[in-house]
Amino acid sequence: MDLGILLQILFWGIYAGCIYILLATGLNLIFGVMKIVNFAHGEFLMIGAYITATVFLLTGLNPYAIILISMLALIGIGAVVERLCFRPILGTGKLNEIFLSIGLIYIIQNGVAVIWGDEWQSVQSPYEGITVPVGALNVPLDYIVIMVVTTAILCGLYLFLKRTKTGREMRATSQNRKGAMLVGINVERMDVLSFGIGCALAAAAGTLWVVSGQIFNPYMGSIPAVKAFAIIILGGLGSIPGAIAGGLLYGIAENSAAYFLGGVWKDAVSFILLIVVLVIRPTGLFGESGE
Amino acid sequence: MVVTRDTIVRYATYAVVAIAIIAPLLSENLFLLNLVSLMLIFIIFSSAWNLLACSGQGSLGHAAFFGIGAYASTLIAVKAGLSPYITIFLGAAVAAGIGILLGLTCVRLKEWFLAMVTFGFAIIVQTLTVSVLAPVSGGWDGIASPRLVSPAIPGYQLIEYYSILVISIAAILFIRYVMKSRAGLAFSAIRENELEARAAGVDPVKYRLLAFALSAFIAGVAGALQIHHIGYITPEIFGVDLSFWPITYVILGGLGTIAGPVIGTVVLTIIWDGLRLAGLTFSRYIIIGVILILTIIFLPKGLVDLPNQLPKWKEALHKMRGKTKTAGSPE
Repeated sequence: MDLGILLQILFWGIYAGCIYILLATGLNLIFGVMKIVNFAHGEFLMIGAYITATVFLLTGLNPYAIILISMLALIGIGAVVERLCFRPILGTGKLNEIFLSIGLIYIIQNGVAVIWGDEWQSVQSPYEGITVPVGALNVPLDYIVIMVVTTAILCGLYLFLKRTKTGREMRATSQNRKGAMLVGINVERMDVLSFGIGCALAAAAGTLWVVSGQIFNPYMGSIPAVKAFAIIILGGLGSIPGAIAGGLLYGIAENSAAYFLGGVWKDAVSFILLIVVLVIRPTGLFGESGE
Repeated sequence: MVVTRDTIVRYATYAVVAIAIIAPLLSENLFLLNLVSLMLIFIIFSSAWNLLACSGQGSLGHAAFFGIGAYASTLIAVKAGLSPYITIFLGAAVAAGIGILLGLTCVRLKEWFLAMVTFGFAIIVQTLTVSVLAPVSGGWDGIASPRLVSPAIPGYQLIEYYSILVISIAAILFIRYVMKSRAGLAFSAIRENELEARAAGVDPVKYRLLAFALSAFIAGVAGALQIHHIGYITPEIFGVDLSFWPITYVILGGLGTIAGPVIGTVVLTIIWDGLRLAGLTFSRYIIIGVILILTIIFLPKGLVDLPNQLPKWKEALHKMRGKTKTAGSPE
């Protein structure tokens, strides 16, 4: 077992982790403000992937620039979904959210299949084949760009939440919904906004997914979403630093499992990990007791 | 004699059962017979899911038990040479055993966590089936499964149909018995408020495990029946689709009721196959999704609650009309 392979796995893990982090952060943001979990979150990643591929094929823009278009589009779509589907059932029980997400999964997956067809597709990155020497090994330039883009998006989100008035209002709503209402924050606006931003983060993940040359079809969103969900369980519901740490660990664990046990185990290992953690700590690694 | 809603429901049930018994004798339509057989199997499956949901545990991976029952029954039937009529229940017992094990990891979990664990469990089982267990399970290619009734017997389809009908009626009666019993009361108590249930002397762990075991057993029976009806099994049986169908059926029909899964399955099967005959493919799922979301928002107790909701909707419509009239007329 030489060090080179270990480093390689580590890099794959971080790269995969970037996509999970974006998804998990979005889920966490939505959970923090609205206290709902959207199991259809991966479908937004998938829409982002299709938007990216379509814009790329039509205009030939640098796919990394398309990330802005797909994020903007998904803010809109997310706001509509929140308004039409989730707002009417807010506060009617957690099982309802899960069931509603299933309806959304059906609609979005097959809506995309109607528009774009259900074959596997892929897009070639402009940096395909270019590698950068990092220490002992050659890393594809794409991986580095993806890590930089992810970091930039997370920094942007951090500044938005900490420095802007809307961001502060959003954090206030997340800490105490009733209190936020009392001081005059329009919490329903925060709901729409956080759902939209969460979806935009998923769209960014979708763009990165496509750009890195991974194949996609209308049904590919569920598995990354479920993993993102597992990550926020591990990292603690509502905790964005937890999502980042969890996402990286998860990406690395999964790629090690795929390397050492074989590719079939890639998805299962993550769930075994999740179940083990939940057996020991029913509220997640860093989760608080209760809700 | 006063005709209450209960008596109407009772006689309607008898009528449906009578039709289910007599109809196949009158018409020799094998397509319909097959369709109704599969529908009955899904009634069993969604009733099983519903039983678990009654105890407040919404599983997103019930295909795991459906598939375990099916695989176990097939393998026992093939290796031991037993009749599928016996192995159905042996396979289901295996599913129930594994259900208890999964239940043990789930008893302390809240809704979302439980949903995740069950969802992940189905994926784990599928992975095991195609990797470690591939030598016995046939991997992704699957294996042939003996038919419930050998095709050598004349009219085997009819015998198979009646067997499935009898088992599904038995399953529904059994679930009805459980839900009306002390255990059923305990399930609702835990679902509504676990803390209060505990204060009232209900042991949540015991009853949640019981719900898991019963639900996994009945789902296993349904899975085994389906596979012995189709005659072939592949790991696709653990797929997300099969986990989501019972949920869709039960939500549409009415969560936590005995009639709900039956009505939901029948209505959705008719819509589903009607749309297929109309030539729709992907759009069928979109329509199902829209129906599901509309049901959750506007009819949270499902179709069984429609008789109570209709007058309210009529009243609301009336009021709306009245308002627009007064607003629209200047005089």
